[in-house]
Amino acid sequence: MTTLLHRRLEPSLLMRLVGDAPEAPVCLTDDHRRSLGARFRAVGAVGHRRLDAWAVEQAGRATGAFHWSPTTARRVLGNGALRRTQHQPSLAILDAVRDEVTDQLLRATSGHARPGSLAYWLASSANPVIGTVSAEALNWAIQLDESARTITLPWSVAPSDAYYDVATARTTLRARRDVVVAAGDARVIVRIRSGSPGKSAGPGLRADLTIEALADPSGRAPARLIGLWPDAGVCLAVDGTMDDLRAGARDLVRTAVAQRRAQPARAA
Amino acid sequence: MTTMLDSPVPRVVDALRGERRARPRADHQSAGGLRALLEDGVFAVLGSVRPDTPLVVRANSLRQSPFTTDVTQSPLGPLRGTLIGELLRLLSVGMHIDDPFNDALLAWRAQSPSAEMADQFARLDSDELARLTTDVNAHFVTLRRALGPVPGQWLPRSALRVSQHLAGGDVVLRDHLDLMFGSTTTELASVTLLDLTSSPLGEHVERAMRYHALIQTLRTSTVPLRTAAFSTATGELWTRDVDSELLTRGVDDVIEAIGLAWATR
Repeated sequence: MTTLLHRRLEPSLLMRLVGDAPEAPVCLTDDHRRSLGARFRAVGAVGHRRLDAWAVEQAGRATGAFHWSPTTARRVLGNGALRRTQHQPSLAILDAVRDEVTDQLLRATSGHARPGSLAYWLASSANPVIGTVSAEALNWAIQLDESARTITLPWSVAPSDAYYDVATARTTLRARRDVVVAAGDARVIVRIRSGSPGKSAGPGLRADLTIEALADPSGRAPARLIGLWPDAGVCLAVDGTMDDLRAGARDLVRTAVAQRRAQPARAA
Repeated sequence: MTTMLDSPVPRVVDALRGERRARPRADHQSAGGLRALLEDGVFAVLGSVRPDTPLVVRANSLRQSPFTTDVTQSPLGPLRGTLIGELLRLLSVGMHIDDPFNDALLAWRAQSPSAEMADQFARLDSDELARLTTDVNAHFVTLRRALGPVPGQWLPRSALRVSQHLAGGDVVLRDHLDLMFGSTTTELASVTLLDLTSSPLGEHVERAMRYHALIQTLRTSTVPLRTAAFSTATGELWTRDVDSELLTRGVDDVIEAIGLAWATR
């Protein structure tokens, strides 16, 4: 039986959810990885396949091409800014956001940014656009800080998302993560989302949970994966149980099947 | 004759901060009761009938009054308000603004504006465009003079889109907060909400102030310290400390708006 907790946001909620997380998370073995790889290979793919929780929530439906905007840039810059304030507590979040934007611009002017990257886009944007990007990143960073500062256990802003390449299946899985909480030997992952959770938010969280476990070298699943929707004041969480991991893996394979079925139609 | 004031005019951010010593303890208990009042009110309106599509309430749903004339209802009003809102965002992160209209336009366009607004802007003739430019520049002067520098330590957040679902999703309360300061995790109440309007302040704005406070309380389970509105048309600032009476009146406003929306279906 899978788990899905649904709570209304309140200041002490996150710490309660971290504290209540199951103590003995499960591990994925090499057999599990081989079995998942075989299933993805059986689906087949025209090109390289990239799957994440969003694709699962959209049931594999094609979404528009990615482009940088203040909304898409806020998470990268906001998380980077909060990471800076963790290393330098005297730094105000607004100043950390400015430093983060300046670093990106410096990367572009020093020739280290490739076309299509955030740095490249920022460098080609007008000042008011950079201001709007900063305002969005500030919103994100403050929201994340407000949520995480109630956690009394050690936590850190995730250095990157979790990625897992499924061997010989030309498939990359990506799980977003914003905060990693060290709860004893286990870890709890917190993910911030904008808007309101839809009906498929639970499967999306389970997909993140499974990818997070696969990306761990020893296959250890997080004790709990918490999704926060601060705009709606809602919090959902799934536990790192074998049933949840299996459900997450099934949804990922189903999404790959849905994408594969849509490919010939799109080509025609 | 020039008259000099004997004391400086208080800035908006100073008025919002108020007396630090006078702040009450943060109230994390009232949200549940307010939600229950709203759920009861929704049931009184809808009964056991479930609408085909959710009833959506916004701050401007509370603003419609047959007895008042809202100048934002002029064709240029919504565009002007949107562009002034963009300028407030830029000021909140300390951006230097040289050319208010064009800077606001660039910031607005970077955020993929709604097709309806973009179309409305595209259809402006040269006279209307000139009037909008003048309006935005003039309103910006009022805003910049009155606002004052926004301290980063106050955790300024701008253009927040929030929503709350009631009655299992049959009613959706949506809100857009122009500017918010403070933290929900402090022992003393510190969250302050600012609604920026390019029309004169009136009863409808007071309702919107209550609505912002109510939605913020439901969303975070923390009652904000203060809710405020600033008019770039007149330079007026209204601030209200948030208490249980204000929130209960906010609940009544919302139930009335739901009743009107349901009656017109």
